[in-house]
Amino acid sequence: MSPETRTSQLRRRARAWLRRHSYSFFSSLGVLLKHKVGTLMTVLVLGIAMFLPLGLYTTLNNLQGLNLRQDEWSAVTAYFKSGTQAEEVQRVADALEKRLGPESIVIISPAAGMVDFRAASGFGDSLDMLEENPLPWVLQVSPQQGSTDEVEARIRELTGFLQSFDSIEVTQFDYKWLQRLGRMMELGQAAATVLTLLFGLAVVVVVANTIRLDVASHSEEIEILALVGAGNAFVRQPFLYTGLWYGLMGASLAVALLALTVLYLGRPLGLLLETYGTVYSLRGLDAKHTLWVLFGGGFLGWLGAWIAVQRHLRLLRVGGRLGRR
Amino acid sequence: MITFDRVSKIYPGGSRALADVSFHIERGTMVFLTGHSGAGKSTLLRLIMMLERASRGQVIVDERNLSDAPDRLATLVRRNTGMIFQDHKLLKDKTVADNVALPLIIAGLRYADIRKRVRAALDKVSLLDKENAWPLTLSGGEQQRVGIARAIVGMPPLLLADEPTGNLDPNLSRELFGLFEQISEQGVTVLIASHDLELIRQTRKRALVLSNGRLADDIPASDGS
Repeated sequence: MSPETRTSQLRRRARAWLRRHSYSFFSSLGVLLKHKVGTLMTVLVLGIAMFLPLGLYTTLNNLQGLNLRQDEWSAVTAYFKSGTQAEEVQRVADALEKRLGPESIVIISPAAGMVDFRAASGFGDSLDMLEENPLPWVLQVSPQQGSTDEVEARIRELTGFLQSFDSIEVTQFDYKWLQRLGRMMELGQAAATVLTLLFGLAVVVVVANTIRLDVASHSEEIEILALVGAGNAFVRQPFLYTGLWYGLMGASLAVALLALTVLYLGRPLGLLLETYGTVYSLRGLDAKHTLWVLFGGGFLGWLGAWIAVQRHLRLLRVGGRLGRR
Repeated sequence: MITFDRVSKIYPGGSRALADVSFHIERGTMVFLTGHSGAGKSTLLRLIMMLERASRGQVIVDERNLSDAPDRLATLVRRNTGMIFQDHKLLKDKTVADNVALPLIIAGLRYADIRKRVRAALDKVSLLDKENAWPLTLSGGEQQRVGIARAIVGMPPLLLADEPTGNLDPNLSRELFGLFEQISEQGVTVLIASHDLELIRQTRKRALVLSNGRLADDIPASDGS
């Protein structure tokens, strides 16, 4: 066979392959649209199954963002010894800036501290009775933002550095609180992973069962297709595409449900956070993650269909309906 | 075109369907396969379609030995063989045209070519006006003609028919046999399993007679073919 003939034969086969796939692709979609109620119910089950881990993942993602973007929540406060001069405080602040480059350094003088304390405590007149201002110089240092672990590491570093100065009496930071929150987030992430695996399995099982029934109700058609020369691949294709469509539709529904939930909860949550002096808008899935969810859903649907079809075709073959070997 | 060389078929469980059957069918001829129910006619056709494997002997179709051929050859053999069944085996949820188009869709032909060839095949069996009808709305004879259209649409070199006139009245049966003759005249090898001895006699074609799985007689054609 000449190379030209071989090439044209390959081209013809590739075109035939594409046409067979496009037939299965569109005919499977047509069958799903023809059985609207059944399709809708399956897609609803799949969508809800995919929404649950997706919702938990998005909640964790938002909690992480909400926690770590709050500078004051992760700020370290350093109290200087009584009698420390302003120059020493500035020296420590400069050294800190040069060495660790934190997000922000705020110097609070004893006088400024007293003004704040007077306003916040309501002890105005009583404070006038004090002969001298007992408040120390204070540095409020916020680390650079990042993940919980990164911020935790930066706070350790900051605290260690500040404690190395003799002029500093004490450093304060609610480290345990952040640590607990970090661990809770880790627990949440582990739960999200387990949920993703479980509900992923549920998606595969639901699609496999749906396709199993589908194949069983089409066993006569499969037999006829085999008799007129359809290979296993052609028989499998419409069912695999049906599984793919189920997965894609389920994933699309899950993404849509998530977007609606974010939209619905966004306003009341914003109002709640406003009372804490925080402005935050809920984040849904970005384009990259949305694509991953659609891809994952499609793959799980395809996998469920493949498992069901392979098993059923084997049974048909063993029963001799597709020819005995 | 078809050669059976000392072919035996014993099904799992020990039931013997064919025993030492040998014959040869020339390309482009029309041959009948006859015998009582359970004589082995359907098994013989299933061996040619690679739906069964011979227990012994050699089945050679179009110079291919099917007895030791790999499984993947089965789809190629079936694509090159048109098969007509007594129960028509039509897809009830597809139109007549869609049923006839199946072998061409499987072969991956262009939509325009499929449409053209489907219409030509339906025209050949005089069912062009029924292309959008559903199989269940057709009479038994019409359904059988749809089955014939589906079998010939891919222009296979070999056409097998398993009791194609089983459910039809004598007039329709004669009409169908006439159609098979026309197809055979175009160079297609036609092998028809039938127990309608009277009709077979009338066509004066070669007939292989099976009895209890053995080739009991090989009656030559008397029409000069």
